[in-house]
Amino acid sequence: MRYLRLLVSFARISLMGELSFRVNFLLKILVEVLWLGILLIFYKTIFSKSSSVSGWDEYQYLFFLGAYYTLEGFVETFFLENCVEFSELVRSGNLDFFLLKPIDEQFLLTFRKIDWSTAPKIFLGLGLMSIGAMDLGITFEPFRVFWFLVLLFMGFSLAYSFLLVLTSLGVWLVRNQSLMEIWWLFTNLMRYPRSIYQPSWALPIRVVFGVFIPALLAVSVPAEYFLGKSDWSGIALLSISTGFFIWLSRWFFFYSLRHYQSASS
Amino acid sequence: MGKYWNIGKLALKERLVYRGDFFLSTVLRFLPMVTSILLWKAVFGSASQDQLSGFSLNQVIAYLLLVHVSRMFSSMPGLAVNLARDIREGTIKKFLIQPLDLCTFLLSSRVAHKIAYISTSLIPYAGLFLACLSFFDTFPSGLGWVYYFISLALGFLVGFYFELCIGMIGFWFLEVTSLLYVVTTLSFFLSGHLIPLDFLDQTGWVEALKALPFSYMAYFPAALFLGKVPEGEIVGRLLLGIFWAIFFWGLSRVILHLGLKQYSAFGA
Repeated sequence: MRYLRLLVSFARISLMGELSFRVNFLLKILVEVLWLGILLIFYKTIFSKSSSVSGWDEYQYLFFLGAYYTLEGFVETFFLENCVEFSELVRSGNLDFFLLKPIDEQFLLTFRKIDWSTAPKIFLGLGLMSIGAMDLGITFEPFRVFWFLVLLFMGFSLAYSFLLVLTSLGVWLVRNQSLMEIWWLFTNLMRYPRSIYQPSWALPIRVVFGVFIPALLAVSVPAEYFLGKSDWSGIALLSISTGFFIWLSRWFFFYSLRHYQSASS
Repeated sequence: MGKYWNIGKLALKERLVYRGDFFLSTVLRFLPMVTSILLWKAVFGSASQDQLSGFSLNQVIAYLLLVHVSRMFSSMPGLAVNLARDIREGTIKKFLIQPLDLCTFLLSSRVAHKIAYISTSLIPYAGLFLACLSFFDTFPSGLGWVYYFISLALGFLVGFYFELCIGMIGFWFLEVTSLLYVVTTLSFFLSGHLIPLDFLDQTGWVEALKALPFSYMAYFPAALFLGKVPEGEIVGRLLLGIFWAIFFWGLSRVILHLGLKQYSAFGA
């Protein structure tokens, strides 16, 4: 309950901060809309040249795109900015002030700022999913919607865990400007259905990012479930790897903090 | 000239301090290329034609690889943001009291950064291109290589002066980060980074998009390399690129002049 109250406070303070620069805030929202426009142009261009992509037809792919956009929206709204700023806190030594607070360090450092400007992505993604599902004639049965949301939450937790591991590396790399690029890599892997990794030469990617660092599952498995394309092995793998990576990322985060050397503050 | 040479040397040393971060980011930049290859294989696999918008599968993949080279020259990470921050925080005043020209200082620093970046990423890029050599059906002729390197140099100049102009908007607005996001997003798409501009043929805007300065930052060098620019148009397109480079150079001088006239620095 205490953490929920704190989260609400973080959200309120972040919103106040964003609204102090209203034009800036609106421009940031415009960027998200532009990105969606670019993705949709890309999607329309592809489907104007081809009838399907690795077994995904136009509206199934639109649903997938919506699921991806929603998941990315969640990550960017709640964590990405905090994670990117972590290495700067290490470099400047300002991390000391956060470690002294009587609160869980992982919660404080990864939730302290909410990026409201990326929140519309969540709703835009939900809109795309609705359009895709309606065009496919899929009904929104409560059971199907509930389990889809559970799986999407798992995908979101998995993405958060990857981001936390990358963030923790900032303790050693000090200037971790690569973090955004590595995250870009992960979003690249999540952005397309995992069925595109079928060619035999892509087997190492399918194994590494489908089993050991299962970024390929985060969006594909929830979308496949909702569209009736999933098998239980994907769902089982997503469930097990989510639990494992939540544990691993938390352990690694505290391990990295133990190796943090304050910068004279 | 000597002082700008020293500035360049310093910037080169600075760039190489954080080698771990730099190497990691270079290597990881290749991995999305693999997903692009797989996606386009899937698209061509389901398409009824061998060529889409005049591009074969091999040419699309070669194009996406060549766009990386174009962006090595034309992308200017941090230039506008850092310049706007210097203006906002007042640290830009050091250029007003020292015998230094701001634009030339930034240009020499950026050239050094590019030399460091290109020389250190040459080996991983060479490996990538060797691994993907089978996607290249043709290579430029002798003169074609000359045109290609000129187009890369133009990409650098257009990219540099364009970003410089955006950063100097900081003389009038305190916060330009979001404006930069908008410009970067538009540039990413309009430069042909995501998809060859020819694929947008259904919009009827392809020729206009090719004439914009953005196309010189990614599309034009790659299309030139692949022989997608008709021979009779090459010189005209290069001249247009030179025009854009001169235009943004002139614009940056005007903005700097006007910006400094109304600039006030406070504090120590």
